[in-house]
Amino acid sequence: MAMLEVNNITISYQNRPTVTDFSMTLEKGQICSLVGESGSGKTTVIRAIFGLLAGGGKVTEGDIIFEGESLLEYSKEKWRKLRGSDISMIFQDSGAMMNPTRRVGDAYTEYIRTHEKNIAKGDARTKAIDMLERMRLPSGDNVMRSYPFQLSGGMRQRVGIAMGMTYQPKLLLADEPTSALDVTTQAQIVRQMMELRENYGTAIIVVTHNLGVAAYMSDHIIVMRNGKIEDQGDRDYMLYHSENEYTHKLLDAVPSIGGTRYV
Amino acid sequence: MFDEKDLILEAKHVTRRFPAAKGKVLTANNDVNLKFYKGKTLGLVGESGCGKSTFMRFLVSLDKPSEGEILYKGEDITKLKGEKLRQHRQNIQMVFQDPAQSFNPKMKIRDVICEPLLNFKRIKPSEKDKVARELLEMVELPGELADRYMHNMSGGQRQRVAIARALALEPEMIVMDEATSALDVSVQKTIIELITKLQREKNITIGFICHDLGLIQSFAHQVAVMYLGNIVEVMPGEDIGENCKHPYSKALLASVFDIKMDFTKKIESIDSEIPSPLDVPPGCPFCDRCDQCMEICKQERPILKEIGPGHEVACHLYAGKEA
Ligand SMILES: Nc1ncnc2c1ncn2[C@@H]1O[C@H](COP(=O)(O)OP(=O)(O)O)[C@@H](O)[C@H]1O
Ligand code: SF4
Ligand SMILES: [Mg+2]
Repeated sequence: MAMLEVNNITISYQNRPTVTDFSMTLEKGQICSLVGESGSGKTTVIRAIFGLLAGGGKVTEGDIIFEGESLLEYSKEKWRKLRGSDISMIFQDSGAMMNPTRRVGDAYTEYIRTHEKNIAKGDARTKAIDMLERMRLPSGDNVMRSYPFQLSGGMRQRVGIAMGMTYQPKLLLADEPTSALDVTTQAQIVRQMMELRENYGTAIIVVTHNLGVAAYMSDHIIVMRNGKIEDQGDRDYMLYHSENEYTHKLLDAVPSIGGTRYV
Repeated sequence: MFDEKDLILEAKHVTRRFPAAKGKVLTANNDVNLKFYKGKTLGLVGESGCGKSTFMRFLVSLDKPSEGEILYKGEDITKLKGEKLRQHRQNIQMVFQDPAQSFNPKMKIRDVICEPLLNFKRIKPSEKDKVARELLEMVELPGELADRYMHNMSGGQRQRVAIARALALEPEMIVMDEATSALDVSVQKTIIELITKLQREKNITIGFICHDLGLIQSFAHQVAVMYLGNIVEVMPGEDIGENCKHPYSKALLASVFDIKMDFTKKIESIDSEIPSPLDVPPGCPFCDRCDQCMEICKQERPILKEIGPGHEVACHLYAGKEA
């Protein structure tokens, strides 16, 4: 049995089906990308898996099975234990998710102490610094003493990833984790996510509108359109063999170094 | 490369300093020299915070440099005041990343587009309907949209409206700041096609800020690379992929994910953070992240030198003839 099985789900906001008949499976250590235009339902899918649909969204049909158990039937209590330890999520701008009036260190230490009730404050702090440095943040101690606004976007994003990875989750969900970042920072973050897979066997679902990023990091790519799966396959299929017209349209629109020039 | 008689705007020794905490000084632009030519696009690339927007704001007179001149057809526009400055604004217009946030949400599209024309008394209020329709059609939108509001439109439509408004005054030049970054790639493509078509028809000069090297090389005639407020390389647009020379430009290029890239190679990236603009190293601004840094780099700031037609590099590795 696969680690994650999403079986023919329909997701509705206010009883309006937005994503229909969506299925995917993911094994340990696999990376899958969801690509497609904005509004196609990518965020909706990964939020449904994380049990955190906004705006009254609900999974109205189908099932989501994680390690043999339906996530849809999890109690609040069970979700609280799972989130952050077995399944983590990274958002587009982790900085915006942080409380601007609290130092990164206070927020991070508290996060650790909600997952490990009995850990001493000092130990939680050491653990946090260790994770930050593993994400190649230059000085973990410095970062801990900073407020979110004092860090660059790339640094904040690495703090978000460090927090998400603290308990080496089996499944990492990432919603446009590099879209707000410069190309150099994007490359660093993509490399770090791939190292997670190598070092811990983490499985990753990443939403991205950057087809280059999707092609580089994924074992499997799913193209979404109007709430449905339009096309899917591995990189080789997507880039060179798909005959799907929509996939072609997306690929043609990607500006490429040495590609089409309009002048 | 470019004909000097087509020179329309020239930035000379432009420096901008901002006072910072604890009596420090932040140098956002340092001795920037750039030339914009009639009917051509100059793309300005670099990481966020490197000073791109600071520079472009001088061109549209939203800010003034601490030192240096911005010569528009030979006249220093940083010295313009009052009515002269107001009149000059018609020559250079700006398009922002998010048009929905730059216009009053209560205005209909018709009024958004016609506002600058009415301000400069270029049309009568009774002509608004006709003019708005014509301008919408110019950007390939149906004239009926004149009755709508910005928030009822898609991102791509809004960006077209912003372009229609910027072009309403028939400026010589427009400045676009990350104008397509928030759009889906398929929509971005149609906007770039529109911009380049209008440029050919109207011979407009464009200054385009962008961090997507693939995008910029698809339509810029010149590309300037900025790092910590300094221009480190200027080159013809088609050179960016094959022929860029500065170690920083190469590092930027190496970190691009491209569907045509070699997937068997590990992606490269500079691992360190950009130094703060408060602590720019005294020599080459890139020296503490450059893997080819030499002794001289730490002491002497390299200046732009011409190394080929339309190609200048500021790096001690390239000791070409003086520019
Ligand atoms: N909170 C919400 N309430 C109602 N509709 C929503 C909400 N969030 C998203 N939607 C709708 O769901 C569709 C898919 O959105 P989303 O999942 O955000 O797409 P993507 O991530 O691909 O941009 C869109 O039509 C969007 O308007
Ligand atoms: S001047 Fe020296 S440090 Fe600067 S980019 Fe060139 S080689 Fe590197
Ligand atoms: Mg989304």
